[in-house]
Amino acid sequence: MRGKIIIIGMICFLFLLRAPYALAKDPVKVGVISVLSGPLAVVGKGEPDAIKMLIEGYGPLLGEKVELVIKDHAYSPGLAVERAKELYEKDKVDVIIGCPNSAAALGVSDQAAKNKKLFISTDAGTCDLIARNPYTIKWNYNDYMLATTVGLWGAEHLGKRWYTITSDYAWGHDLLKYFTAALKKKGGEHVGNDMVAVGTADYSPYILKAAKANPDVLVLLNVGKDAVNSTKAAVEYGLKKKAKIVHALLFEVDIKGAGIDIFEGDYTAASWNWVAPIPGVRKFADQFYERYGDRPIFMAAGGYSAALQYLEAVKRAGTKEQIPVIKALLNHTFKDIFADPGFVRAEDHLQLAKSYLLKVKKASDVKEKEDYFEIIGSVAAEEANPPVGFFGRKIGGF
Amino acid sequence: MEGRSSFSPPGYSMDIQFVFIQLFNGLALGSFYILLSLGLTIIFGMLGVVNFAHGALYMLGAYCGYTLVQVYSGNFWMAVILSPLIVALIGIVMESTLLRKLYDLPHFYNLLLTFGLMIFIEELIQIIYSPMGKPFNTPKELLGSIDLGFMLFPKYRLFILGVTLFLAIGIWLFMGKTKLGAIIRAGTDDSEMVDALGIDISKIFTLVFGMGAGLAGLAGVLAAPLQNIFPYMGMGILTETFVVVIIGGMGSIFGSILGGIIVGELITMGVIFWPPMANTLIYIFMAAVLLLRPRGFFGRVKFFE
Repeated sequence: MRGKIIIIGMICFLFLLRAPYALAKDPVKVGVISVLSGPLAVVGKGEPDAIKMLIEGYGPLLGEKVELVIKDHAYSPGLAVERAKELYEKDKVDVIIGCPNSAAALGVSDQAAKNKKLFISTDAGTCDLIARNPYTIKWNYNDYMLATTVGLWGAEHLGKRWYTITSDYAWGHDLLKYFTAALKKKGGEHVGNDMVAVGTADYSPYILKAAKANPDVLVLLNVGKDAVNSTKAAVEYGLKKKAKIVHALLFEVDIKGAGIDIFEGDYTAASWNWVAPIPGVRKFADQFYERYGDRPIFMAAGGYSAALQYLEAVKRAGTKEQIPVIKALLNHTFKDIFADPGFVRAEDHLQLAKSYLLKVKKASDVKEKEDYFEIIGSVAAEEANPPVGFFGRKIGGF
Repeated sequence: MEGRSSFSPPGYSMDIQFVFIQLFNGLALGSFYILLSLGLTIIFGMLGVVNFAHGALYMLGAYCGYTLVQVYSGNFWMAVILSPLIVALIGIVMESTLLRKLYDLPHFYNLLLTFGLMIFIEELIQIIYSPMGKPFNTPKELLGSIDLGFMLFPKYRLFILGVTLFLAIGIWLFMGKTKLGAIIRAGTDDSEMVDALGIDISKIFTLVFGMGAGLAGLAGVLAAPLQNIFPYMGMGILTETFVVVIIGGMGSIFGSILGGIIVGELITMGVIFWPPMANTLIYIFMAAVLLLRPRGFFGRVKFFE
């Protein structure tokens, strides 16, 4: 018995001895959650790749090399919360960046508030992440911005009569709400809408119905294979010849997968593209391409920007303490390869930058790999994003 | 834009022509369900196997088409003929190496096996071809529309309708008029008796499974130009195919055809008249059929009643 107590005492003593040493060697640790397995891995892997590229080239911060921990949540909200707990509690990261899937990001945001550590959400579109809690910052795109960009710019440039085909779940309903508001503001006419179940293989009945309404523009408020299947049906039934097609969100992998021919001439809103007129963007895209064999998508660039601005904020604050760093991030205007300029609003922790409208090139105009888009317009940051207090929430104190 | 005057704003009156167009479109949509459920139903009728791998075989058909046309730059017609044969061959191998071993055990062993095969095939395709979608264009000869008098209809859908009609009649004649068809029908009723009569029933089983797989493969390659080709494309359509088979009656060819048309029409009519329920209608209809006539329209009594 006595021997045991002595041993336990010795162990405790050793831990005490170790403690100051541990304090001295305390690098800034960045955690990234993304989807790295399953069918969506092709979309998810770019972000950790880009952040890895950034951190490897980033010099010492607070006297130490920055460390990076990458976790896969396989697009599962449950797993995302587990990963966030591990990162904050076990790996002791100072910030989590990324996390595609809105439900997953909301879960991670709650973990951030619980652990009083920063979460920068770069991949989930839901506006519920805006002004959610003091430890969450919404970076990159949001659903309001996508739908509003399409509505505001489109009503001016593409036509007056608009028909929508909407994915029948929370995301689609949100997009539709913001889109119709923006369209109304610019005097566009909404001539019809159809809610379509996710994963519907044959969109032909919906396309026939849309064609009957004779719209100038068809808006597809869907993503992934739904975007592909609805566009294919629009091409097949000749609606694409009569009306322009606009996507709220269009991924490069879907263009690559289904072939650029079916998307040719379509429009989409975006927070970023590697052909955007931002200084240094081409160099970043080339570096990324050389290293990983693909062009970076907006999620990769958004994550890169969030990580870079976080590290810069640590530098400005001179500490990795949570509250000073978050304060250094807020109300700060920055310029990087993602936003020129970008700004993080203190009132609702929303990162703002101007949004872009992209047009899909003709197959014959594609000069290099993944050169799918041309920038055709942009909407100012304040116009494209929700005004302060739009969602009726206020961020509490730390 | 011309023709705008003919349009009246939302809540517009439903003109007959539009309903006709959608009805016709429903037939084309139903064609896929018919092709898939024919295979599913003859396999069930003969072998007593609920083939969960049917969706995966459909997906294989699409990938065969993609590989033949896009990778080896063959032509579409070759793919339409070869893909079903390749998938049929895969089906034959599946039956003769795996399914066969489980016939003597309760039905759900084969159900589990085919379910496992589905996952295996899907993951295998994902590893080989990546989870990304694959491009497949409508063949040049079938691009554009034909004026049917009351509407413009895409040539390609018309082609699918024709192929399905041809096959449905062909299979019906084959089952009804040929000796082999008679053996299959007899086998569906009592396979042991057929075996006792000196006919090698196991060869017939293999043939039937291959035929069903081939039909799924054909549906897959025909769907390829219309849909996104990706490893999990068979999942959604499999559910609807089961609905078709349940409505039409497990094991009945004519039931499959009728069920396929009903499901195709319910979906398209739902889109016009009751959009929020478009995808639910078929399940409501199925529930009603199950309540009122559990064996389906043309199902045999011995299966479910």
